[in-house]
Amino acid sequence: MAFDNKERDELRHRFHEYAKTRDPALRDELITAHMGLAEYLARRFTNRGEPLDDLVQVASLGLLKAVDRFDPERGLEFSTYATPTIVGELKRHFRDKGWAVRVPRRVQELHLRLGAVVSVLSQEHGRSPTIGEIAQAAAVSEEEVLEAIEAGHAYRFTSLDAPTGNDDEGALSAQLGEEDQGLIDSEHRVTLSPLIAEFPRRERLILHLRFFEGLTQSEIATRLGISQMHVSRLLARSLAQLRARAEGDESS
Amino acid sequence: MGEVRLEVPASPEFFRIARIMVAGVASRVGFTLDEVEDLRIAIDELCFALVGRGGRLGTLSVQYEVGTDDLTVRGTGHFADGADEPPVLSALSEQILGAVVDECEVSGGPDGPSFRMFKRRAG
Repeated sequence: MAFDNKERDELRHRFHEYAKTRDPALRDELITAHMGLAEYLARRFTNRGEPLDDLVQVASLGLLKAVDRFDPERGLEFSTYATPTIVGELKRHFRDKGWAVRVPRRVQELHLRLGAVVSVLSQEHGRSPTIGEIAQAAAVSEEEVLEAIEAGHAYRFTSLDAPTGNDDEGALSAQLGEEDQGLIDSEHRVTLSPLIAEFPRRERLILHLRFFEGLTQSEIATRLGISQMHVSRLLARSLAQLRARAEGDESS
Repeated sequence: MGEVRLEVPASPEFFRIARIMVAGVASRVGFTLDEVEDLRIAIDELCFALVGRGGRLGTLSVQYEVGTDDLTVRGTGHFADGADEPPVLSALSEQILGAVVDECEVSGGPDGPSFRMFKRRAG
């Protein structure tokens, strides 16, 4: 992005060096130096209902590929070379993991807005709200609420790739009480499906609490300090992945 | 109280219609969002059990029976591509279904493989 001439020369020099040595430390340095570009490009995709953090992660992956493939001998500016690679990575992310069914923007936005509405209502009533109550509070029709809820399942529904990432793993550990830590670490979780054992801890815990401990989505949301809609999305995603993997196991 | 019927191609991209409909019908009965989510998970699980991830040639008919404070959903696969064996639920599927609905069963039969699930509204 905005490098002065001296910095640009310096980076060019480092790219030449990296092309020769493939030194991982140098690679890290080059990636760090261009993170601004990845962030800038990720930001251009934020209106599609994905958290910026996730997008930056995807863009960094594109950046990493670009650093590895960049050939400084060809005389191209790195940013010129990297931009289509990073944008390509972001687009692929939306194609692979995005809304499987084309979800109109207003529905995506309502889906995100309902997260807060549901939280407020749950607190007010001390129980999960009905669809009618949500519609009234959000000043939309029940049909629109239903559509927006469904959007949470459409979201990433086709994502069959295994790693769901250990996003906010650190934050989660901080939130969890000893009891939850014990639950995740127990052997319990693998009795019925070794497939679950491969999931990130948060997803594992949610699956366990919902299907083995019988907590409701709202109760899990409160316990983990996230919204009910978020729990719903994570569950939908986990179940889709479990299904994909179970089928993969059968056919192999 | 009433009945709603749906017939869709036996393919996962149409399950969302079955999910939206279960949510719509459940909302009539006054189920809470938590319960609606459970019903959606259940119908997904059962549709996948009947049809599989790859889809089948034929149709899936789903019948929603609205009670005063409960909902029964029946699904039947009408497949043109061969065997109509009763669907098999994995241990994990059984565990999931047991947690989200009150009753649930799958069976084979002359009309094709089918499922039935039942959930009562809390409170």
